Amino acid sequence: MRKSSLFLTLILALLLGALTSPSLGQGPPIREQLVYSLNLFNGKTYAPGFCPRSEDAIYLIANENNAVSPRITLVYFWPITARYMAGFKTLNEEIEGTLELLKDGKVIRSLEKEDNVVFYPDGFFAENSRMYLGEEAHTFFQKYEKATKDYYKRIDEYYEKMREYRDAFNKFLEDLSKRREAGEELSRAQVEAEVPRQPGSPEGVRFYTTPLAKNYILNLPEGVYQIRLRARDGTIVQDSQKNLVAFVQRRGGTIGYEITPGNRWTMKESSNDPSKTIYAAGKNTLYLRPFLQDEYNDLYYKKLLDPQNEGTPERWIWVHTTPIENVLVVLLSKGRLLESIKRAPYYVKQIPGPELGYEILEYSEEEFAGRSPSFEGHKLEVSSVSGKGNYAFHLEKREGEVLKGSEREILFVKKENTNLLHLISIFPLIVGLVVFVQRKRSIS
Amino acid sequence: MRSRFSFASHTTKALVRRDFLLTLKGWGLYLSAFLSLLASSFILKSHLGAIKENNILISSDPLNFPLFISLVIVSFYLAIISVISISREKDQGTLEVLFYGPVNSSSYLVAKYIKDMLLYLVMVCFFFVYFTAVSSLTNLSFSWSLVKAIFLSIFLVSCIVSFSLFISSLTSKMRTSIIWLVGILLAFLAIQIFHTMLVSLEEEALSSSLLYLRKTLEMVSRGTGWISPFSYLNRGMQSIAIGSMRLYGMSILYSLVYSFILLVSSVLILEAKGVRG
Repeated sequence: MRKSSLFLTLILALLLGALTSPSLGQGPPIREQLVYSLNLFNGKTYAPGFCPRSEDAIYLIANENNAVSPRITLVYFWPITARYMAGFKTLNEEIEGTLELLKDGKVIRSLEKEDNVVFYPDGFFAENSRMYLGEEAHTFFQKYEKATKDYYKRIDEYYEKMREYRDAFNKFLEDLSKRREAGEELSRAQVEAEVPRQPGSPEGVRFYTTPLAKNYILNLPEGVYQIRLRARDGTIVQDSQKNLVAFVQRRGGTIGYEITPGNRWTMKESSNDPSKTIYAAGKNTLYLRPFLQDEYNDLYYKKLLDPQNEGTPERWIWVHTTPIENVLVVLLSKGRLLESIKRAPYYVKQIPGPELGYEILEYSEEEFAGRSPSFEGHKLEVSSVSGKGNYAFHLEKREGEVLKGSEREILFVKKENTNLLHLISIFPLIVGLVVFVQRKRSIS
Repeated sequence: MRSRFSFASHTTKALVRRDFLLTLKGWGLYLSAFLSLLASSFILKSHLGAIKENNILISSDPLNFPLFISLVIVSFYLAIISVISISREKDQGTLEVLFYGPVNSSSYLVAKYIKDMLLYLVMVCFFFVYFTAVSSLTNLSFSWSLVKAIFLSIFLVSCIVSFSLFISSLTSKMRTSIIWLVGILLAFLAIQIFHTMLVSLEEEALSSSLLYLRKTLEMVSRGTGWISPFSYLNRGMQSIAIGSMRLYGMSILYSLVYSFILLVSSVLILEAKGVRG
């Protein structure tokens, strides 16, 4: 009894000690640190990030423009995500100097900062972007500035037209009531013909260009390099040395599909490898989104996305780079054309009931006004019971022009024969029995 | 050196013929083939169940994994019978009697190796029949990749057989040989399976202890990468997956070099230790 109470007291004291420990009441320690601010090409677009002192290497895709910039900032360790975080909003001091690029210990290039912009042809939230440097960067930025100015001008004009419209509309209502009071009978068609028309809102700027930035631009062939920053006084800036891994894809420019099965639309499947077959077990609707894709080493690619990531050098991942649009999915059965399917938008409508709980409907602006489509894709309806057998599909740019590597097969498994599998594994025993009987006969 | 590695082809032929026919007439070969195919059937059944449940499954070669399981069972069988036959002949003094005749270490070990490879070719016939039947029954595709995988398996078995000959040349007692062989092969297999499993999981899905385990296994796998016979198969399977004939050819070449080194080492060890071990 005495022992257990002593033990409990000890535990309580330890707990109290831990709770009153000053470390629990404080935030993580913040340190000033030289980090590399990154804007790296990830195969489809540019993603910002930073490389803290704890990481000794920066990974980037070879033969593409990548922007790096050494900066002094506040860095702290965030235990919840087990990552170092940078407080660029509090401190973001640029370091002047020349970035030296080394290979096998020799300086092969000395880089100065260059003007650059990232251009998003389909808007900031689209999946693709390109980096432009020097004069081109200025041109693209001016183009965006001009487009934005024109847009604001159109907005002003629109507001003016809206004001005019509202005045005209109010006047129309007043006139209408006066005419009705005067005993004039107006049909609905008459009113609709006379009512002032609301002006359409101006179309926004579809593309986006980031503000001009000045960074060191690395566009390197595949290989391992080192970088360091030489200050204006000729000394090497402390902690500026990093390894640089420029890597390429293992396979590139092939065609992959994102497949949304109709029976579980939130759980998408991928058919990245042309050698992969799609096995189906019953009637199903598949929505396909074709992509151009590249295959990268998992470790390199994850380190590119965030230098603090852990990757697996043995694994390879496919990165969907560009969606393939304006193509037809051609569905075949036993080499016979079944249908050519266009890409269309779809809307997922939630429905009450014990079954799927949703319904996938073809989207149209009239039917779903004010709502955006849930996804887009080429709709394939496949069934093993229709007597059509197995299917195959591919992409065609124009009729008969098959996109290489887009071919896939859909096979329907025969579920009813599953139990026969154990039976066929017996046949080596039958062979053994035959050998045994033969041997017996020859002996006798 | 020349006498050590020279072997009369007719002596080797006679030894191969004797051992091969003896095994062919026994039940062991057929029983192990049956067990290996039964294990494949269980895996295939659960695979088909998964397709049935999800309605869809995207896979390059669904028959490759069942083949791998069959292959592991069969190669264990071949390795064990090899070890047993050598150890038994050592124990019973048959080896000593043989060595008084025209048989020497190299002809003896080469005969054992060829016999095991011939037995595996019989197994390959079983595999072809079985997987063709499975394909027509279930509609899972019997692809060109599967043919390549079956061909590659011959070289994996070559690695395992030469590894078993190497172990039996090192040990003298049958029980010790089997324990060492099975223990090492199981350890190699466990490292490979757990490593592959952890590698296939996303980093976010792993707890910190599993992450450490994955890192440890990564290092261990790197260490055993050129020693474990299973890693030779793994390299070959990866080359099939990415469709690289150059890597496929290289993995076959690596397996042959591995088998050759182990066979030569076994001959040297047997020569050095003598027939009584």
